[in-house]
Amino acid sequence: MVGRQTPRFRVIAGEQPAAPDSRSELRELYQRYGASVFHRCAYLLRDRSQAEDAMQDVFAKALQHYAGFRAEASPLTWLMKIATHHCLNLIRSERAGWRGRYEREVRAQATKDERPQVFEMRELVGKMLALVDTETQAAAIHYHLDDMTLDEVAALLGRSVPTVRKRLQAFATLCGKEFST
Amino acid sequence: MTLVNSEAGSPALHLGELRLRRFRAGELSGETQEEIAHHAAECGSCRAKLRLLQEEERQFERDIPFERFAGGVERACRVPRPRANRRWAVGGAFGLVAAAAVMVLLLRPSEKVGDLRVRDVGLHAGSNQTKGGISAVARIASAAGGAQRSLPPTGTTTLQPGERIRLGYNTAAPSYLAAVSVDDAGEVSALYPEDGGSLLVGPTQHVTFLPDSLELTGSGRERVFLFLAGRPLDGAAVKKSVRDAHAQAKGDLGALPTPSFEGRIDVRPFTWLFYKP
Repeated sequence: MVGRQTPRFRVIAGEQPAAPDSRSELRELYQRYGASVFHRCAYLLRDRSQAEDAMQDVFAKALQHYAGFRAEASPLTWLMKIATHHCLNLIRSERAGWRGRYEREVRAQATKDERPQVFEMRELVGKMLALVDTETQAAAIHYHLDDMTLDEVAALLGRSVPTVRKRLQAFATLCGKEFST
Repeated sequence: MTLVNSEAGSPALHLGELRLRRFRAGELSGETQEEIAHHAAECGSCRAKLRLLQEEERQFERDIPFERFAGGVERACRVPRPRANRRWAVGGAFGLVAAAAVMVLLLRPSEKVGDLRVRDVGLHAGSNQTKGGISAVARIASAAGGAQRSLPPTGTTTLQPGERIRLGYNTAAPSYLAAVSVDDAGEVSALYPEDGGSLLVGPTQHVTFLPDSLELTGSGRERVFLFLAGRPLDGAAVKKSVRDAHAQAKGDLGALPTPSFEGRIDVRPFTWLFYKP
């Protein structure tokens, strides 16, 4: 007979906790990728404290899969995918509260946004995310911000290319833009 | 170099945000780094973006110094952060639906679910952990969360009181997964999924562990099976095949033959035998 235990235990890679050999490697991760991952988390969660927690979780995952992570062609791309997935999961888990709060923030920003609008698409996507479902959010982020191709986004989301195209077209319409690949 | 016009409506080709971040991180090849530097020197828009990224990095290092970052990451490694409203944390059907959804995200629809070739691996074969990009492992942790150990397929171990098990798999192609256990009395319990057929999983690049942990209750022995197949598995058929194997071995869990799936060659079995505390 089997009993299911929750919460599960966290699996530690290898027989010992997997970690970089020294703090210097962790420092390298911090310097090269910390800001990017933190910014992605803050961008999605709209809360710097939550974003810091989420960023720590993302780097903890990187350490737990350290060998594979270092073997990635682009560790940053890997981190950004994990960060996006992790944050969208967090948002989904508290969706009702988040959606209301986020929509209020969006409305507030529409009238008072003093940040530089250098990344036009980043700002636009950010403002529209609250209006679409989680899968479209992920598609829009990876396509518009992470430079992924339709094929890559479809593969990541486990959807067909036409389905992802349709979602991105709908998102573009919402943004008042024309979608072209 | 491919410049990405990620700024909708812009007449010129500009660099996408991720590419600029990779440039800042020094991840691109030397030639690409040079091309981007050259482009940025001539493109005011991309130069402004790079300046903004630089400013974000400075602010990040001001707000979250390295020691604070390192302490937080190390804490997150040691202690899983409690999650409110995590559906599958409550276990049961909700949990498996959510877990399946996460795993479906990993699928590549362009890759057809191919037949997985299966060798005739008896339960006593020496090493069937990794063949054709497929492997499985059982991970065992003490109740106190201390040391962990891995048990490869066909392995046998004695569990200590409170020890829990997590099952992991690694598959190069999308596969259908089902896990069950059988005890000395021949009672078969569905583990993953708890009801229904099989979970669509993978492809994975690393071992992926199934949600929740398992504690074997009662006394005696328990054999756990994890099946990875190229086509969906029927839950009732999985249970029947294990029950038949148990009957064939006359209830001796140490001598169970490989469960049969009516001639299907796409089903890859993995199994572990546990002596309960």
